[in-house]
Amino acid sequence: MHAQVASNGAAARIVQHTLDNGLRLVTAPAATGQVAAVNLWYGVGSRHEVPGKTGFAHLFEHLMFQGSGNVAKGEHFDAIERLGGEMNASTSTDRTNYFETVPEHALDLALWLEADRLATLRDGMTQEVLDNQRDVVKNERRQRYDNAPYGTALERILRLGYPEGHPYHHPTIGSMADLDAADLDYVLSFHKLHYGPDNLVLTVVSDLDPADVRERAERYFGAVPARTEIPTAPDAALHGPIGGPVRETVVEAVPAAGVFQGYRVAPYGEREFDAMHLASAVLGQGQGSRLYRRLVIERELAAPGDAADIIPFRYTPSLMLVNTIAREGVSGDELEQAVLEETEALAGGITEEELDRARAVLERDHLQAISTPSGLADELGACTQLFGDPSLAFTWPDRWTGITAAEVAEAAGRLLVAENRLTVRFDPENAERAAEPAA
Amino acid sequence: MSQLQPRPVLGDPKPYTFPEHTRLAVGGGEIVAIDVPGQKYASIRLVQPFGGLSDPADRKGVAMLTAESLEDGVQGDNSLAPALERHGADWICYATWDSFVTGVDAPTTRIGDATALFAEAVRGPALRDEDVLRRREQLLEGFWLEASRPSRLAMRAIGSQLFSGRYATPISGAPVALQGVEPEMVREFHAGTVAASAGTLVVVGDLSGVDLEGLGRTVFGGAAPVAFPEPVAPAPAPGELPRVLLLDRPGSVQSALILAQRSPSRAQIDLPRAEGMSEVLGGMFTSRLNQKLREELGYTYGVGSRFDLRRDSGVFLISTQVDTPTTAPSLTATLEEIRRFKADGATGSELAAVRQANTVGLPVTYSNARSLAHALVEMVVHDLPADHVDRLRAGYEALTAEDLRSAAEDYLDPAEMAVIVVGDAASLKAPLGEAGFGEVDVREPENLWN
Repeated sequence: MHAQVASNGAAARIVQHTLDNGLRLVTAPAATGQVAAVNLWYGVGSRHEVPGKTGFAHLFEHLMFQGSGNVAKGEHFDAIERLGGEMNASTSTDRTNYFETVPEHALDLALWLEADRLATLRDGMTQEVLDNQRDVVKNERRQRYDNAPYGTALERILRLGYPEGHPYHHPTIGSMADLDAADLDYVLSFHKLHYGPDNLVLTVVSDLDPADVRERAERYFGAVPARTEIPTAPDAALHGPIGGPVRETVVEAVPAAGVFQGYRVAPYGEREFDAMHLASAVLGQGQGSRLYRRLVIERELAAPGDAADIIPFRYTPSLMLVNTIAREGVSGDELEQAVLEETEALAGGITEEELDRARAVLERDHLQAISTPSGLADELGACTQLFGDPSLAFTWPDRWTGITAAEVAEAAGRLLVAENRLTVRFDPENAERAAEPAA
Repeated sequence: MSQLQPRPVLGDPKPYTFPEHTRLAVGGGEIVAIDVPGQKYASIRLVQPFGGLSDPADRKGVAMLTAESLEDGVQGDNSLAPALERHGADWICYATWDSFVTGVDAPTTRIGDATALFAEAVRGPALRDEDVLRRREQLLEGFWLEASRPSRLAMRAIGSQLFSGRYATPISGAPVALQGVEPEMVREFHAGTVAASAGTLVVVGDLSGVDLEGLGRTVFGGAAPVAFPEPVAPAPAPGELPRVLLLDRPGSVQSALILAQRSPSRAQIDLPRAEGMSEVLGGMFTSRLNQKLREELGYTYGVGSRFDLRRDSGVFLISTQVDTPTTAPSLTATLEEIRRFKADGATGSELAAVRQANTVGLPVTYSNARSLAHALVEMVVHDLPADHVDRLRAGYEALTAEDLRSAAEDYLDPAEMAVIVVGDAASLKAPLGEAGFGEVDVREPENLWN
């Protein structure tokens, strides 16, 4: 399968421009008409947080919807929703993105709303708003982490994979204690420090003339001044293996044993990352993967699902994850042993057929991600913010074509080893309960 | 440019019509296709008139188990998905109450290969004993894995509180019924339904160079046309309403909370009125319930409402997950919002939001192949006219404030609601009882469907 299928000639129609205040604008055509997908990638994430102040970038993302100088609380949601638009935002270690897809005639409104909260958010911020959104975020933490089975897995994985005090050590959602301690002054200073047009990639996917979109971007964002003080991100340098094997065991009310393992691999963008991305697909993405074939179908040790993934960190080594849930009657130890056998076997070699399938699966996922205007806009924003090159949104699959099976096996052999491994085990409180549910 | 701009005044939106689809009769089936130039990742769906409702009474879950088992392909042993993966394609297969849907999402350059694989898996699957038994065990265990998520468990319990008959048991058959479904029953079900019916094939994507007729011949084979069965309204659940079902999940820091009520079926309901009412109450971020429970009271990360409409009946539900101590107050606050809506109706601003969101917003809704395909699948399953999206749009354009208020009158009746709570029974039983909504029945999840 060729990556050209994805580009469809559209890569040649990407237009980039940087405003005087540093804002980077990217435009590209949409595959369906009458929509404009707007996406903003700010170069601030939880990696900018320090101990005692975790969860701020994400809390801040919430606060951005609570009104600004010329927009009332809730008005941003209302304005977009009543047009039938779709919108959301998200925070990760490396960035915060805000996005809305609107009918084309409403592009100016989307741009105006985004420019207003960039420029005047602090004018709309109050203690009451902060207190309310703090409660919302605490509920989000409960819903997605504390009240969900295995919900704290990622938090524990990060704690083991990155040293205390390292900017990738804590989860983006932050801790309840730090959220409780959040104060208004710190929130206001966070905006000043990190939210500026010079720290922003604005992407618009639509059928409008790029010159037209550029004129609108100038009109709405041109007057917003660049930051005067550019913060330094906390040092994320890290070398060598995790220093393992390290492990943590959690005994909790989970329906079955869960084995969550991680390995440190190269930062996002490096060739070794791409090789390990392929390795994760060979090992555990899709039903043709080794873990699925061996552990789900043949040996019936693991519940169905994708078992391997890779978290892309740009500014520090990334993490490859291998996560499985045990079948009834299978102990965590037995599952863990089986997973290790398959993981370590990659070093022994990968067939061309396996690699072809892995490439096809990753290309399929990539194609699906950019097959909507909103998905394409996000990918363009990501490639521009992280790599300075939006055309990567179309050509990314080419990276996988150039990597050989030998290279993947070599990288796997070097990195998927005990010294570089962390393990988080969830064991059911009552082992008998997991093996024989009542009724 | 020395200052920020004033809020822009928007021009008129461009008129939007749902893309035309091509209809093509091939053998015993029909193709319904939308060409989206430039959309290189196509969606293909075969829709057949069988689903959870087709399960024989003593074989609940057989439709769903059959759907799962098709994935083992013509050779068995989980061979289908890996074969499709090599073509960059995704296998799609699911049973709803009313329909059996199979298909692929595939690059248009591989549409022929992917469709051929999918067609043979649908028409001539191996359905070996060992594969079906493996799938059954996975479904059974998967049921409990899913049920460990409180919101999923609460959703599954709705049927038992509102219906008797097939809907009272989850579509997968739940643990007890599914245990009794054997491979021979799956083969029998498949032969009598999926294999025997041509179905309707939905195709959405860049169709330049795609041989639709060839796709149809491949997929329909020699199967005959089969119509959807006539709908028969199901009987209510035994016992009194309103009531509260409290499923114990000890130590939970949040409760999953659902309010559910029966509604008319898809064919009987006036969708713009009903959906419009639901959006104002709980469907939009700016809805009454979300503003109250999330933005004002801080009880939750989010709350939503929607209709789940079948051919023979419907369910209206409100769903949220709230901080445990706020469970009973959340219920009380929700009931108060319902009362207020029925009494006062929607504001002019809310009416305008609903009308615009569902008219002006259509290009956004239909900006990808999957959502276009979904609209066509709905059309097939519910016998809707070819222009149903445009008719719906016209219905929203004509909506009045009185329509929304009367919809709240017609479709919201707390006296006919079942409340389902999944949470820590020890701390919740008393406050929920004191809320005065109805009898509180505490159950263990494992025993709900015995």
